[in-house]
Amino acid sequence: MLEAFWQALRDPVVRVVCAATAVCVVLVVVFVGWFTQPDRLARGFAPTQPIPFSHRLHAGSLAIPCLHCHSGAEKSRAAGIPSVEECMGCHRVTKTDSPSIQKLAAVWKSGGVLAWKRVHSLPSHVFFDHRPHVLAGVACQTCHGPVQEMAVISQHMSLRMGNCLACHRDPRPALPAGSTIVRAPENCNACHR
Amino acid sequence: MSDPRFSRREFLGLIGSATFVAGCSKDRGEIVPFTKRPEGAKPGVADFYASTFQEGLCAYGVLVKTREGRPIHVQGNDRHPAFKSKTSPAAIADIMGLYDPDRLKHPLMDGHPADWSAVESKLVSSLKDQSVLLVTGALLSPARRALIMDLKKVLPGLRHVSWEPALGDGQTAALQDCYGSARRPRLRLERAKVIVALEADLLSGGRTEEIGGFASNRTERSMNRLYAFEGSVSLTGANADVRVAWRPSRAAALGFALARELHQAGVPWPSGVDSSSLSDFSLEGLDSGLLRALVGDLKKSRNQAVVVAGPSLPPQAHAAAFLLNAMLGAEGHTVDASSSVAEPLSGSDAVAQALREAQEGKFGAAIFWQVNPAYSFPDAKLWKAAVAAIPLKVRIGLHEDETAQDCELVLPEHHWLESWNDFETAEDLLSLQQPAVGSLYETKQAEDILLDILRGLGGGAPIDYRHYLMARWQREVQPSGSLVPFESFWSAALHDGVCQRKAEAKPPRRLNGSAVNRWAQVAAQSERPQWELLLSPSANLFDGRYANNGWLQELPDPVTKLSWGNAVSMSPTDASRLSLEDGQVVRLSASGREVELPVVVQPGQAPGVLSAALGYGRRTGSIAQGVGANLFPLWNAAPVAVKDAGRREVLAFMQRHHTLEGRDVVRSLAWPKGRLAPRKDLASLYEPRKFPKHKWVMAVDLSLCVGCQACVLACQSENNIPTVGKERVLKGREMHWMRVDRYYEGSPENPRILMQPMLCQQCDDAPCENVCPVAATNHSDEGLNEMAYNRCVGTRYCQNNCPYKVRRFNFFEYTAQTPASARLAFNPEVTVRPRGVMEKCTFCVQRIQEAKQAAKVRGRPLQDGDIEPACAAACPARAIVFGDLKDSTSRVSKLTRSERGYRVLEELGVKPSVTYLADLRNPPQADAS
Repeated sequence: MLEAFWQALRDPVVRVVCAATAVCVVLVVVFVGWFTQPDRLARGFAPTQPIPFSHRLHAGSLAIPCLHCHSGAEKSRAAGIPSVEECMGCHRVTKTDSPSIQKLAAVWKSGGVLAWKRVHSLPSHVFFDHRPHVLAGVACQTCHGPVQEMAVISQHMSLRMGNCLACHRDPRPALPAGSTIVRAPENCNACHR
Repeated sequence: MSDPRFSRREFLGLIGSATFVAGCSKDRGEIVPFTKRPEGAKPGVADFYASTFQEGLCAYGVLVKTREGRPIHVQGNDRHPAFKSKTSPAAIADIMGLYDPDRLKHPLMDGHPADWSAVESKLVSSLKDQSVLLVTGALLSPARRALIMDLKKVLPGLRHVSWEPALGDGQTAALQDCYGSARRPRLRLERAKVIVALEADLLSGGRTEEIGGFASNRTERSMNRLYAFEGSVSLTGANADVRVAWRPSRAAALGFALARELHQAGVPWPSGVDSSSLSDFSLEGLDSGLLRALVGDLKKSRNQAVVVAGPSLPPQAHAAAFLLNAMLGAEGHTVDASSSVAEPLSGSDAVAQALREAQEGKFGAAIFWQVNPAYSFPDAKLWKAAVAAIPLKVRIGLHEDETAQDCELVLPEHHWLESWNDFETAEDLLSLQQPAVGSLYETKQAEDILLDILRGLGGGAPIDYRHYLMARWQREVQPSGSLVPFESFWSAALHDGVCQRKAEAKPPRRLNGSAVNRWAQVAAQSERPQWELLLSPSANLFDGRYANNGWLQELPDPVTKLSWGNAVSMSPTDASRLSLEDGQVVRLSASGREVELPVVVQPGQAPGVLSAALGYGRRTGSIAQGVGANLFPLWNAAPVAVKDAGRREVLAFMQRHHTLEGRDVVRSLAWPKGRLAPRKDLASLYEPRKFPKHKWVMAVDLSLCVGCQACVLACQSENNIPTVGKERVLKGREMHWMRVDRYYEGSPENPRILMQPMLCQQCDDAPCENVCPVAATNHSDEGLNEMAYNRCVGTRYCQNNCPYKVRRFNFFEYTAQTPASARLAFNPEVTVRPRGVMEKCTFCVQRIQEAKQAAKVRGRPLQDGDIEPACAAACPARAIVFGDLKDSTSRVSKLTRSERGYRVLEELGVKPSVTYLADLRNPPQADAS
């Protein structure tokens, strides 16, 4: 049986067909795999940041509201990262002996840049807007996870379209009690343009 | 797999994603916040700065939209009283001038990079005690003028010539002679019922105010009547109710003959005009019925009429127009000189005179600022001789252009989006220019260079031009005795971009009758040459200053639809006599100079008239170089001879079919009685679509649209549309989401010309959607035909199935070919499309989304007018209206229900969302007397 197979393989047509089939199988596996990849692969991404900023301390223990620093979320598409000066608003007097705060202060004094590592990233053809979500009362934690418990910020939810659509089709679990919203837009232009 | 943690599906997924993840870096880039956030700066939110854009004798108030500190779009300033939120196409496109990769990035001394201090110390030491020639463009700025006056105090040998090479000298000469002052009046076309244009293009793209005024009287309720007498075909002729192909050499005769006819119809002469000097003019070739109608219209409308002569005409034609306007009493009504200011502009003669003196060694140094005489001065020999005799030549400019190559010192200046200035186009109106971005390169504002010279030569000067400007404003602009602190006055003026002030009422100008008599005698003696060559600034490139702007090179000429080059237009009669056709190259020669360029056979062109656009044929600039032919050598040259050069050039027309073939794609009605044929309701096999909340639609009023193409550029800027170059335009692969189709109807000798903006019609039963194999284009519940780029696989079925031909395909990775600096102009709200992806007009969905969110943030529902797509915002005629059809009171709903409304190719049953309102024309009735 195996011998017959080798025999047949001498024919160049059969060879091409076999090779093509093998390539196709791999492609299909990769393709299907990509579109069905589980959430947990994207989760837990937690790069080392230039300053070991702890959300657990600031948002958890100190209970500073999210919008205090990420004030863009109500006014802009991007929630934004606070400027170094905003950090220095407190840290001019708070914990000035910490080497990290001294690093922060040095950046602020020199006018240099503080480059944080991006954790949540969307492809360039996705135009997510924080405003309608925040205004509808969706808690930041719905997508960003229990930030107030994270010493190092990490990704909680894969930001794939399936997750967006699941919530847009039935947003009620994410909305505060009494919200009148029952559905969010599902047309392409809601996010792609 | 026995491992209970994995399902089969997950296993496959894991293998697939592992393959991908292995190849992908985990790094997702960086986020860099502001270190010190400027007050009011919100990442993701656009800021607008009021500023001013100057071109020639016009200063447009604009708003510059910036995102994260980068200017990305220019639109009109809504507080500007004349332009009213509209601006010129060049202002919109010149954002590319800011990001032009060819811009000079540091000073050059003898062709080598140098630093500013070395260059300026050399400059100051060489200028000291020298006689200096300073050639600039039109200044229009009181602060600039004051600065040059200050400079004269420390440099007594300074001679200043301000020169606009592409603007004719005829009007200035005639104004000086007939009114004793070169103050250019403002045309108030919104008050005009009858407009007579003699070779005057009142409706070309840059004439924003005139287009607005003209269009305000082109509705069912009130219609003006435009008579155009022209040799070439302009947008004015295309929109005229009566267009007569008329040779420009006879324009003056026509004007004076009309004045005589008007007098015979009972209108008195203005004082000092001698009727005997007007007896010789004949109106041969003009239909007598038309003449009767024209004279009747003028007589009836009186001060609601206006006669305008074009800048390319000689002074006698302007004098004739002045005479007619004086007889009609237009002064103070349709011709408003009450607050206009005189810009001391010298003609090319004055430049030639200065260059001749330079040749004799009269000048120790010369500074060329805003002008490029090595390209635009007609007499290249004189220029070469003059620069050889000037020891130090200085070029202050944006590029290392033709003139810079002849100069020892090349000083890069700021782009206008990086500069401070003020502009005065009327005594009662000042507009301010402020930087919308810090300087991108090691450049300086030109005025700061002059201030450095002033300081170096011992004059007192503030630390920079901004302070110079502010000091001048505090002294001269803020009303004396005002209780407002200057800082508040200044910041209010900067915020508004304009400052209106009281001007002393001037006595009306008086026409000097004897000057008119003299010009009439000149006109009576003028001959009719065999060929007349009309040269005008290009509708896109002006005098060549925008030649390195790809958007403007690719934007087709509004009439010929030729992109990437210029050509000489010739009448069909002449072309068939000389057996020439489109693309055949001819040699034009006059005064011993020759230019070779291809022919375009232009329906409607008067026989014997050749016309061509200036601004092409630049010798420098990576985009500008070698595109088209430079016609400045033939400026004011006569007589012109034409010879077949025996070769051909390929012309990149963006429209290849020019007639409607009897179909009613563009509908035109005779006002006031014309009506469209009643609409037939078409049966459809599809269920009607339901739109629960909004239904976005557009209305385009063809009666208002003049075809200036400002919309096309605004769309290009807003939607990150690439340019593709001549080669791909020839293959029909241009990327414009919006175009203006131009059709000829009737005889080629003088056809009717129709314009139609064409964009995605957002059909309810869109034929493109049905054929997409991957559902990349589908319908939203707000009536938009959406394009999901990330889904598109590039089959182009949709493009083939679109009856309007508005879908565009990215054959190449155009973004990769966009220089890094030009990518800064990208609108971050719109996806930059990669290769292999189809794209098309989205009705500016990013603006729809933004308006919705802004309304939500403010806690109020969307209102009519909240959303304005880029094309509608840019349209100087307000021909494009956008809105929600579900709101029955919205403007667009009313227009959609209009009796003039129709949909293009409606019979296909695709249910387009764009309603066109039929063009209205108001020709005189045949029996008018």
